Amino acid sequence: MSPRFWPNPHFKILGTALGLCLSFYTSAQTTPLATPSSVNYPGILESLEKLIQIDNTKFSKKNELLLKSGKNSTDFTTVSSIEVDPDFLNSIILHSDPGYIRLASIGKCRFYDSIINDLLKNSEGKIKNVFVTFVNQNKERDSALIPRKDFLARVVNQECPETPKLIDQFQVKNLDQTIRSTNFEQPSGRDQCRNIYLEWLNNSKTPYFCKLHEFMKETRLRSGDPKDLPQRQAITKILEQKLNITQRDYLENICQNLENEDLFCEEFLNVSFWSKVASGVENKIFGEDICRSVMNSPNLSDIQLKTCLGRLKKESDLCLYPGGRSQGILPSPQCDTLATALNYSSLRSDYLDCPASSDQQAVTNMGRILLNISKEPLAALNGPCSAISSGVTYDFNDKFNNDENWKLEACYEDRLAEKEVCQKIFFGSYGNSPQSYNVVVADILKRTRGADTNIKCEMVDSEDYNPLMLTYKSGCFIIYERSKCFISQCKHKILFNDRPIDFIKIKNRATLEYFATNVNDERFSQNYILTRDYKQNGRSLNNISGIVAFFKKKRDGIIHGVGCAEEILPSFFKVKAMNQCTPLPFIIDGMIRENDKTVFVTRTGVDSLQAPRLISWSLIYSAVKSYQNAHPLRLWTLYGLD
Amino acid sequence: MVWISLLIASFSLMAKELPKFLTKHPMQSIRYISADGRYAYIQKKPGVLGLVSSFRSIDFISEASTNDFLVKDSRFKERLLIEVIPGNHQEFNVMKHPKIMVVDWGKTQLRQIGQGLASRLHFNDEWVSYYDNIEKIIYLQNILTEKKFAIKLSPKSNNFYIPEVEMVSNDTLVYTDVNDKGYAALIQHNLITQKGTVIYKSPQIGTKLELCQDKGYLAIGEFPFDDISRSSKVLRIKLSGGTNLAGFETLYSSSDSDLGNMVCRENEIYFIKTLLHNRKINLKQTEAVRLDLKSTQVTTVTDLSTVSQLISMDGRILIPFRGDFYVLEGEANLTDDKLKSPTGNNEELPLDI
Repeated sequence: MSPRFWPNPHFKILGTALGLCLSFYTSAQTTPLATPSSVNYPGILESLEKLIQIDNTKFSKKNELLLKSGKNSTDFTTVSSIEVDPDFLNSIILHSDPGYIRLASIGKCRFYDSIINDLLKNSEGKIKNVFVTFVNQNKERDSALIPRKDFLARVVNQECPETPKLIDQFQVKNLDQTIRSTNFEQPSGRDQCRNIYLEWLNNSKTPYFCKLHEFMKETRLRSGDPKDLPQRQAITKILEQKLNITQRDYLENICQNLENEDLFCEEFLNVSFWSKVASGVENKIFGEDICRSVMNSPNLSDIQLKTCLGRLKKESDLCLYPGGRSQGILPSPQCDTLATALNYSSLRSDYLDCPASSDQQAVTNMGRILLNISKEPLAALNGPCSAISSGVTYDFNDKFNNDENWKLEACYEDRLAEKEVCQKIFFGSYGNSPQSYNVVVADILKRTRGADTNIKCEMVDSEDYNPLMLTYKSGCFIIYERSKCFISQCKHKILFNDRPIDFIKIKNRATLEYFATNVNDERFSQNYILTRDYKQNGRSLNNISGIVAFFKKKRDGIIHGVGCAEEILPSFFKVKAMNQCTPLPFIIDGMIRENDKTVFVTRTGVDSLQAPRLISWSLIYSAVKSYQNAHPLRLWTLYGLD
Repeated sequence: MVWISLLIASFSLMAKELPKFLTKHPMQSIRYISADGRYAYIQKKPGVLGLVSSFRSIDFISEASTNDFLVKDSRFKERLLIEVIPGNHQEFNVMKHPKIMVVDWGKTQLRQIGQGLASRLHFNDEWVSYYDNIEKIIYLQNILTEKKFAIKLSPKSNNFYIPEVEMVSNDTLVYTDVNDKGYAALIQHNLITQKGTVIYKSPQIGTKLELCQDKGYLAIGEFPFDDISRSSKVLRIKLSGGTNLAGFETLYSSSDSDLGNMVCRENEIYFIKTLLHNRKINLKQTEAVRLDLKSTQVTTVTDLSTVSQLISMDGRILIPFRGDFYVLEGEANLTDDKLKSPTGNNEELPLDI
């Protein structure tokens, strides 16, 4: 931001906008004070300081002159063409916040509103009196000094009929209604933000809202007249009850960035994602695992969380290594990059799915897509949190008659039938799914060990398991090692009434065709089922213009695909051999365009759901192209779902 | 928009248009091809790996049709590593443990080694290392004696972390590790005493250490991960055959967030440098550069805008880019149809399977 005395870019606008009310015609008015005969300007800053110095001298002398000549109580009933004095205007320009000058330059009434709300300053600080010029009875232009209160009554109220109504709306008794009728919309994209910024700039209520902001700011900083402080504190208390923290932050952002649209939008589209979390606009799940690590506290209080979120805005490295049990590939993006990505993201992210506990990224990806589409509430979970993705994906395949291709099974020897019996499973339990490992183990125990028909098995993290506790002495428990428990394999032991059960064998793995690898089995691939059976209107996207059009049509649409990990995340996965391609499913749920460059908000199957990355189109294209070369049918594997 | 481009003083631009790699084999099927093109390990059809030389072609691995293969070499050119990757298009697991086998260079007789990630040949191709990310153990196995060592990494490292390993003498290896706070370290491990010593610890979090080796030196690269703004550097430790790894010199240092992915050669190190970085949207222009080991001058050698990987294969350096391969070093056109006469016994394919 420019220093306050910097020549303001809105000087010309202000001059033009106020052309009707302000006159630079000086022939008949009090003789303007002469500029000192010689001034040295060795550097631009020094020259501006000189300008301010000159202005201060001019202003105080003029003030003195008008007071001495008794021109401070002119009866304006007999005068015409009242205008603000140009020297007074110059002083405002030199001493006011550039943002408020921008606001005042919108029009005559906005200028007056800015004066009466104490947003504009002159060399004395807050404006107490207004210098005006007018045409007197002798048809000569004369000058006078009017107290601000009189200026409001004699000039403003007559020239701007909306002003008294606005003043009324901002009386304490009417403030609730005024706030309720004001749109504090949070933009989610650059274009929308520009429109919101312009709306605020042109809104006649803005000077009044900024007055509220300045009032609260002065109280907070204990600035202004110390005599008024108790009164200001009392009013601030009332204001803080009427404006919630999001609205207060919102006003701070607009009032402090009135002259800078980019900074205003930056706050929404970038760093302020953490403010959104702090204010409850966004789910605190985005900050919890990071803040547990930052604050070194497994159970965060609200105050700890807010303190931490405040730090995330300033210390970008705090997001690199989050704590908690649901981790993705590390390091995560830095806080500022992450906040940018999250501001443009639309994928459902209100749950933890533990990508580090997934050895089948197709299931992780499908779980994310399906929960994003269905928006269904999460079901009860027991065991590794990757069971959410497994349960949702299994149910989806079961629903569309593709459960046959889920190969992961728990098997036992049925001695009566003298054959091996296998049941489809996924590790953990999710909702009432009969394929939950807990349910299947309980079922097998009923059949083979005569367990009670009501028996239920519980999965317990080995770190939480204490063999000495009585709880574990009876019933069925599956003790799993979290760091070694994944979607396709899970190191665990089963205890039934405190005795180990070792006759249940796990067979095969949770394999899935994401995109068809042969024509005959195309209908079993996840993409086919999503597009055809689940009717998600999938369509291939192979150029940037297609993707831009896709997101323009449906802002909350998602694109899914498979690409080579070595191209999407080249610093994590290094190529050591020719045609090395590790297929990695991913989801794109947002886009940022800057000039002709485009980056996508991307979550690969190994990324935390709460920590998307910004990945360029060039890398995405290369990754999908390389996977196309490795794919048996040479398929292009990037599909939009809208 | 903040475009950062802090180039060191000795940085120069000599980017040339790179030729595409051309061979007589379909590019997607090649798993390894010698510098002169006479030996090629080809995935002939799904699940089948064959060796094609001037006069013969033999299929020597037949696996399930869903399996894929990788073939890796080393500068010693004694043996090749073959990784058999199960269910490449059905089991989407970036940390999948492929089956590891070894063949003598240009031959087909297989030796099973084990299962793990990031397999590498070391020290005259007599040793193989690979990594088990679940147990967090680096295995080092002598191919001739089958003696096997297990080196345990920090138990708190991230599940997706893959260490880099280099063997610098017959009883010493160095490997990278990272702690739960994100500080990377380089550890020297003595195979006789089974003791490790930290020889370098990164002063900053969010970076990775890379290792590569050629005649007489070990290079250590420290580069930031994709989304992170950090400085980059390349260090060198001169090797004299002993186990003394104390003292390294800085060959390159930059405030740029370079990508790395180093390839070491006798007289130079290639790596990927970030020339421009729009940090706000994490957009980078990355190019391959050549770091001359004598002058330490860095020269840009590509003009592709987004170079992400370098592949070293029998002296040839390839750049995979948007589905094609560009040749940075070595012969680019191997489509010559002239029959070359056998140059010796090595040319004949042994019928040893």
